Amino acid sequence: MSHLLDRLNFFQSKELEQFSDGWGQTTRESRDWEDAYRNRWRHDKVVRSTHGVNCTGSCSWKIYVKSGIVTWETQQTDYPRTRAGLPNHEPRGCARGASYSWYLYSANRVKNPLIRGSLMRAWRRMRETMTPVAAWSAIQNDPILRASYTKTRGKGGFVRASWDEATEIVAAANAYTAKTYGPDRVFGFSPIPAMSMVSYAAGARYLSLLGGTCMSFYDWYCDLPPASPQTWGEQTDVPESADWYNAGFLMLWGSNVPQTRTPDAHFYTEVRYRGTKSAVVSPDYSEAAKFGDIWLNPQAGTDAALAMAFGHVILREYHLDRQAEYFEDYARKYTDMPMLVRLDQADGRLVPGRMLRADDFDGKLGETNNPDWKTVAYDQASGQIVAPNGSIGFRWGEEGDWNLEERANGAEVNLRLTQLLESDHDEIVGVDFPYFGGSATGDFVKCDHPEVLTRNIPVRRIKLADGKDALVATVFDLFCANYGLDRGLGGEWVSKDFNDDTPYTPAWAEKITGVDREKIIAVAREFAGNAEKTHGKSMVILGAGLNHWYHMDMAYRGIINMLVMCGCIGQEGGGWSHYVGQEKLRPQTGWQPLAFALDWNRPPRHMNSTSCWYAHTDQWRYETLRAGEILSPTAPEGDWDISLIDYNIRAERMGWLPSAPQLKTNPLEVSKAAKAAGKDMKEYVAAQLKSGDLKMSCEDPDAPENWPRNLFVWRSNLLGSSGKGHEYFLKHLLGTDHGVMGKDLGEEGGVMPKEAVWHDEAPKGKLDLLVTIDFRMSTTCVYSDIVLPTASWYEKDDLNTSDMHPFIHPLQAAVDPAYESKSDWEIFKSIARKFSEVAPEVLGVETDIVQLPLLHDTPAELAQAHVKDWKKGECDLIPGKTAPNYVAVERDYPNLYKKFTSVGPLLEKLGNGGKGINWDTKVEVKHLRDLNGVVLDEGVSQGHAKLETAIDAAEMILMLAPETNGEVAVKAWEELEKPTGRHHAHLAEGAHHTKIRFRDIAAQPRKIISSPTWSGIESEEVCYNAGYTNVHELIPWRTLTGRQQLYQDHLWMRAFGEGFVSYRPPVDLKTVTAAVNNDAAEGSPHVVLNFITPHQKWGIHSTYTDNLLMLTLNRGGPVVWMSEVDAQKAGLVDNDWVEAYNINGALTARVVVSQRIKQGTLFMYHAQEKIVNTPGSEKTGRRGGIHNSVTRATLKPTHMIGGYAQLSYGFNYYGTVGSNRDEFVIVRKMKKIDWLDQPATAQVEAAE
Amino acid sequence: MMDRTLKSLSLLLSYPTSELQAAMPAIGAVLAADPRLPAATRQGLVDLADRLAAGDIYDVQEAYVMLFDRSRTLSLNLFEHVHGESRDRGGAMVSLLETYRDGGFDPITSELPDHLPVLLEFVSTRPFAEAQDILADAAHIFDVIRTRLGRRESDYAPVFGALIHLSGATADTDAVAEMLAQPDDDPTDLEALDAVWEEAEVTFGPDPGAGCPQVRDMLAAMDGPTPLNRSA
Repeated sequence: MSHLLDRLNFFQSKELEQFSDGWGQTTRESRDWEDAYRNRWRHDKVVRSTHGVNCTGSCSWKIYVKSGIVTWETQQTDYPRTRAGLPNHEPRGCARGASYSWYLYSANRVKNPLIRGSLMRAWRRMRETMTPVAAWSAIQNDPILRASYTKTRGKGGFVRASWDEATEIVAAANAYTAKTYGPDRVFGFSPIPAMSMVSYAAGARYLSLLGGTCMSFYDWYCDLPPASPQTWGEQTDVPESADWYNAGFLMLWGSNVPQTRTPDAHFYTEVRYRGTKSAVVSPDYSEAAKFGDIWLNPQAGTDAALAMAFGHVILREYHLDRQAEYFEDYARKYTDMPMLVRLDQADGRLVPGRMLRADDFDGKLGETNNPDWKTVAYDQASGQIVAPNGSIGFRWGEEGDWNLEERANGAEVNLRLTQLLESDHDEIVGVDFPYFGGSATGDFVKCDHPEVLTRNIPVRRIKLADGKDALVATVFDLFCANYGLDRGLGGEWVSKDFNDDTPYTPAWAEKITGVDREKIIAVAREFAGNAEKTHGKSMVILGAGLNHWYHMDMAYRGIINMLVMCGCIGQEGGGWSHYVGQEKLRPQTGWQPLAFALDWNRPPRHMNSTSCWYAHTDQWRYETLRAGEILSPTAPEGDWDISLIDYNIRAERMGWLPSAPQLKTNPLEVSKAAKAAGKDMKEYVAAQLKSGDLKMSCEDPDAPENWPRNLFVWRSNLLGSSGKGHEYFLKHLLGTDHGVMGKDLGEEGGVMPKEAVWHDEAPKGKLDLLVTIDFRMSTTCVYSDIVLPTASWYEKDDLNTSDMHPFIHPLQAAVDPAYESKSDWEIFKSIARKFSEVAPEVLGVETDIVQLPLLHDTPAELAQAHVKDWKKGECDLIPGKTAPNYVAVERDYPNLYKKFTSVGPLLEKLGNGGKGINWDTKVEVKHLRDLNGVVLDEGVSQGHAKLETAIDAAEMILMLAPETNGEVAVKAWEELEKPTGRHHAHLAEGAHHTKIRFRDIAAQPRKIISSPTWSGIESEEVCYNAGYTNVHELIPWRTLTGRQQLYQDHLWMRAFGEGFVSYRPPVDLKTVTAAVNNDAAEGSPHVVLNFITPHQKWGIHSTYTDNLLMLTLNRGGPVVWMSEVDAQKAGLVDNDWVEAYNINGALTARVVVSQRIKQGTLFMYHAQEKIVNTPGSEKTGRRGGIHNSVTRATLKPTHMIGGYAQLSYGFNYYGTVGSNRDEFVIVRKMKKIDWLDQPATAQVEAAE
Repeated sequence: MMDRTLKSLSLLLSYPTSELQAAMPAIGAVLAADPRLPAATRQGLVDLADRLAAGDIYDVQEAYVMLFDRSRTLSLNLFEHVHGESRDRGGAMVSLLETYRDGGFDPITSELPDHLPVLLEFVSTRPFAEAQDILADAAHIFDVIRTRLGRRESDYAPVFGALIHLSGATADTDAVAEMLAQPDDDPTDLEALDAVWEEAEVTFGPDPGAGCPQVRDMLAAMDGPTPLNRSA
């Protein structure tokens, strides 16, 4: 429109003043309306904080506060800039974080300490006449009183309590339990310390001073990829998200970055504009699939088959038909491919056996230290067998040769990869490889190839020290044969043609996965082609979609192999990017002393949760999977077909896995008996175990002496979110109403365990006390006996780091905790104080005996070169060698509070460290005294640095950790120089004087300092990328060979057919039985589907799924997704209420019918809350369960291996994992919807 | 001068303790004697005071926690019903806090400013006309809570009847109806449930300006009263 009509051409108003040469004008209009905006956005202060559990985002936020009330939050935008050429990190944040302030004032908030009314009634009655511990004892010893509150768990009936009274009950219960059964019967579960590490440490410190059991989470969540410790000896180490921008070819595989990694997804978007190609592997048309240049949609659970085919193509075209120089060089230096494997003979057949060691040769190849842990290879130049530097034998007991220099015994070597040349082999022999494609059940494609495939291998025949002849092959030659590649050696089950239906060709994979072979070949070529040109800048982002399957190791190792074949590990822009649940605790070595009270006593009690819950929620009593079903057809002779719990018991007995509880007898009593007998504790325990007078708890999990008695849950919704086998938790651990529909092995007449004691009557209600600390009334709170209100994430001081970016930044108390709540630090401090008051009634200074498994990154990882069970008489019981170690630890119970609140003397005495190195830290402890002040009160803590506040605790972490204290970083690198004999301190020298304090990160997020705890570096030249220091600093991986370990030679690995990677179809859990499927019996419409539980967009686990605003953006309440075809089969239309069930239990939800979903699968985003909009189940008559109501955990024996280099236990590092995707459910339409929300009566469970 | 009736109602809605139990006869007497209240309401309040006085302390506490701490739709934090999860809630609480301060008081409780017993104690110190104004603003919430308590046959319902009566207002029936329309009334009615959660059909019509019906409905839902938990 023309301005002419509005503009005065001939006049100028006299009333308006002008300025700036007529460009500015003063008007007289009222501007009062602007005040509304000014007031709306008025605030007194802005405080930096973040969101504290379960999200790797680790985004810094501005919290706006007015008159002491949080009014809203916005994203922080002040991250330090990335280097030139790289996009910045900000803005970080998502809709979930932006809606968090709602939680502070939500009606769902826990306002006061709550106690189950019936328990409070009993407690007060007893307390009228009794002391606290006597009162708790009286309640526990009266079965009717105990049942009065245990049986009503989950059914309402809370009353408010004062903090004083609530903590007194908790303290009395803990003291009673320690005195009666042992301190290790007090359990604590809390996940993901990285997101609020002081809050985690608060509970762990209390438990560790008490002698209680800290439970792992990473393995239990099944977010731990066991393939990582197997291959690299590292829990998980990954590139930061900014490094995606350096990739040249990027695969997303079972990971949904745009949906679940919202704040980082921009790097993925941006790198595509830089020209990077992206392939997305996802069964459904996910948000990530939309970003892919190519989308591969295999049937869920068959990813390993796809990975095998990619590997087949890459090996054929880049290693065999043509040798890409970069790839070959990388394979020789950084992988176990040149190492020699002995072929074992049985019944005239050959199978790959152990890796040869220096010990096997005459004169041990000149190696006197640990020769049985030094692997060997041929040197091409000399033609001799050598024990090259870097294998794990060089790590312990000597210095200077634990490195990846191409040297052996001081001389330069060039290792031989293959014996293919005629001059390099003596014979061609047939070697057996197991093949599992024929064991598929249900909907999975069953192949008709035999279960043993014999392939030709070039071998040398050599003479060993024992005088025997041995056939030896390189890992590389076996590896290629395992992938079914024809190398002109003749024989069967190998192929030159991608179109052959021979295992592991693209044509074979097409049959199993449903993915077009041409797509497989194209992606493999582009992946490898890019890596060759860029020297390793091909990356795979992978996640829960693969890792939650029973045979996750196969998919993961298949992908790792692709990356290793192409030299992508340890190269910027390349590598293995697993982003599920680990959420890197960067200042780890500063945090451990605080969390596990290593400043006062060592070692702490750690437990792997999967085995623990499997035993104590009695899921083992319902086990449908026999070891025989997963055993390799090539397994050596042995007693293999036993129950899975039996394997776990053996593993605990041999010191491979930890135990909780540990001994059937109270360890405080065992020590007294040892003292009375005048014996050394360790020797006494060993003798008693051998004689059978002392028993390990694991052998009889249902005996009352072996029950967990007290459980703390904090920062977690164990029962609403992560409790695989939810209904079993309710039935056996809690002893309340449950939805288990299956029968146990006793009732079914199944095969009984050999090692585990069977009780015909299973216990119901093992826990005496369940205490949950949370700010919202979660499902776990609803089932608890005591609920303690904690500060929310804007109400406490804490630290936060992530693997997604290199910064450390804080949570801060923008406002005081609302209602009666307190921070986790203050809560555990108050419990500790109360405990010290109450405990002297029954406990003084006691001697505890802690059972310790053979730990990774300690000399104990060399304990068991061969598998021998002392109980079977195969060896003597030697604590710390053939069995767990037993260590006496003093517990000063009356002084527990004083110890909790001060930095103890052991740091100065023993130093600090992690991952196998240890440094002196006296000066840091002195600095802490200066910074935090010293304790003036008389007693054990006098003169020590104070730990009064959460900020004091944060300063302890920051002071001790190399990542946040440059002086420590330099010391730590110098310590690592001793075993490697190389110079590393240059990586931190520039940061020598950098010391990050809490107030620094309150001002701005700070980038951390390079430290030997991690395998990547922080620099201005490269992004953080895992394996970087292995490749560029020649620091060995912490594995048997010191290289990336692609062949797993442990006996149990070979027995279960996982020496090499292969495709293993999902296991049959047999949960859809004729007995449970009455829809089939009645002929009513239903469909049986594979039950998949991906991460969601509108919540983080159960957090935010009780936020109705977020639910409104979704569909409100629980939903499941299915394909149109399946919906039609079951007579369902979109938005119908459905029930999904199997023998484990039932859940109810609305169905979303979508073309997006692949036929045969049912999606339920985990974990939607039971407490919101969930009607009752027709099957069980209870409120419809959570996603874990239809699951049950199942163990895998190979995850139990210990005392063997990288396959040694570490907390959250290795152990059994809680897989849950092999599950099938029956889905049918619900006939009537019952919200079970009658007025508050006993039926109103979990709801409201 | 304190309005002892309003103060008594504040106490009736507070978490029952033994101290409060002991005071119940006095509270009942104050309420029984207030001529501003209709006889039936007075009787209901006296009955409630009697029950709270005589009941087993654990039973009355459990019942209180179940009703007022655990049920969102009965929350005594008034803004739960007005602002729900929206970010306006923080600002509204700030305004209320300023009202208390202007009235010459600093809150010393750990409860939030919008907690009904807190508000009632405050208005009990104000001239009755001003108290009525404040109560009248919340009359529709009182009506909704009274109705919901009535459905549960809870004897707390007369407290809210008394508040409506004292406010002198007739609750805005439209607002009440809208809030009560939140579908917890007949949980077995499948059709009604479906209607609430059903997403609008997406149509691809000739009019590009029509917008996305799903978004429109979503926004409309967010403009309205909070989508309350239907299972409560």
